Amino acid sequence: MEIIFNINAKHNSAVKTAVSQFLKTISPLESEHDMPIIVFQDGVKGSYYMKCSLLASDAANLCDLNAKLDVRNPESYRANRELLLNHATYRKMEADSSDGREFNDIIVEYNTDYHSETPLKVWGGQHRISAIKKGGQKKNRYHGFRIYFLLSTEQRTEVALISNTSISVSNDTFDRMVEETIFGNALRNWCRKVGFLNEGEDFPDTGSRTERMTVKRARSFIINFYLGKERGGKLTSDVLDRNVYEPYLATTGVTIDSRYDSIMKNTNILNDPALIEAGQKFFSLHDAQFKAVKSEKTKTKNMKAYRNKALIESVLTGWSYVAGLLQNHPNRLSNHYRLPKSNSKIPDPLNAEEMSQFKHDQDPPTYRGLGTRSALKDRQRIAQLFLAKSCEQEVLIDKTFINKAVSQTVGLIALSKGYT
Amino acid sequence: MLTYREYLDYAERSLVRVQDDEPASQWQLIPATILAWSAIESFVNNMLDDFASLAPDTFQLHERSFLLENRLRFMNQGENIGQFVLEGKEYRRLDDKIFFLIAKSGGRDLTNVKGETLWQNFELFKDVRDSLVHPRKGKEVSITKEMVDGFIETSKLIIRLVSKNVWKKEVTF
Repeated sequence: MEIIFNINAKHNSAVKTAVSQFLKTISPLESEHDMPIIVFQDGVKGSYYMKCSLLASDAANLCDLNAKLDVRNPESYRANRELLLNHATYRKMEADSSDGREFNDIIVEYNTDYHSETPLKVWGGQHRISAIKKGGQKKNRYHGFRIYFLLSTEQRTEVALISNTSISVSNDTFDRMVEETIFGNALRNWCRKVGFLNEGEDFPDTGSRTERMTVKRARSFIINFYLGKERGGKLTSDVLDRNVYEPYLATTGVTIDSRYDSIMKNTNILNDPALIEAGQKFFSLHDAQFKAVKSEKTKTKNMKAYRNKALIESVLTGWSYVAGLLQNHPNRLSNHYRLPKSNSKIPDPLNAEEMSQFKHDQDPPTYRGLGTRSALKDRQRIAQLFLAKSCEQEVLIDKTFINKAVSQTVGLIALSKGYT
Repeated sequence: MLTYREYLDYAERSLVRVQDDEPASQWQLIPATILAWSAIESFVNNMLDDFASLAPDTFQLHERSFLLENRLRFMNQGENIGQFVLEGKEYRRLDDKIFFLIAKSGGRDLTNVKGETLWQNFELFKDVRDSLVHPRKGKEVSITKEMVDGFIETSKLIIRLVSKNVWKKEVTF
């Protein structure tokens, strides 16, 4: 088989021998078609490499995920980061691999100095290799490799670094891409209709850096509205306040949330007046909170977390769940949709400052306050707070009210664990 | 309002100010003991409040009278004639509240609890605290730094016991 050095690669007989040795061990697709192998040389560090396609079964048997930077040093351990086998993106990768996904630009080094039975030391694409090892052999497709030869320690470190340098893509970006691909413009248009997005505005690609509705939050709002509606439809008004409710947080990333998927396949969200009304009322709450905190006259600190209190996941999911829950209880729904009262001491309707300072005896010392995170405990408490608020028309969310609502949640949970 | 953690923190801070060779610093043992006791009171009372905040018919009337520390009275005249009503304050002992919470929450069997070291330590703690809060000429109280250190530890252990049995979770200090 012909081995050609590219015009930018200086001829090196040792490299040529190593490539020949590699081709005797492994048969890439190029060998089957008697195609020449081109050897390239990196312009920065002078490393030699070739590109070829290997069968999943060969890759699975020959790849080593425990590559070392310094092959002579026995103290040198596995250099790559830990595999994230439970990450949603990886699980999708593994499922795709079983279905015949072909991966490319997997970066390995041919090295028989240690663990010679697995001479392809993986530097870039360890998750892809893991997916190929676990699921890829069923369909046994060809995958694209870049194979380095005779690397010095310095060259090897450089390969490891450039193979693992990527500008991370946020889950918000994945959500936005997947949303548009699967469901088109429906969610974006719904958000524009209720006020979360302006005309011509899109979901942000990184929610934490903006003060806007993200795909995840909008999905969570919709899911919780319908979850609450389903639950509330089964409850009479006398038992509404005797339960602990569990608002749901939509999953995010490359896989679509199954509950959201089911709603979008069975419901036209742009044509549900109750959902649209809930969205509009929630937007009014967010708007009132935002303006109250931003106002120059207010005593509340003008902090992003306070301005956007309504958009914090526990607050958003708790509110929307209760909006759904009360659909069959019109008087309480009407109370829920009223803005909480404010006064000179509590100028913002959600009383963000006092909520953030709140702590129940049950909370660990590190607890950062009510409605500051997305954990289930917080979602339950916020749902109870809004449910309690819906009992009356004019409610000021002050410290006493917050205390009572959380006490009720803690009391109900304790009872559910075994009151005799 | 202070939390049980703050009461314990202040108790510990008072205790560390007591110097063995400085009799003038011994008075700090008194607030340290009372604060450690208040930590349990705060924790237990707040837990009772969690239950008391639920819909009134969640509990039997006698249980509700216990939770709210109200007197249960049978009415033999007026508009509630023939009924039991809650009225006025009737304070309950801290140990009774603890037994109530653990027993009603399906917690551990309390039959032999009074024979256990923790409960004996609690009783000693209670006697010393009562003597300090309700002083009498004929009743001398003697407390040492080691004893108060033990009271603070007992306070934490009792809080842990209640939390574990009622909430089914550990609290951290």
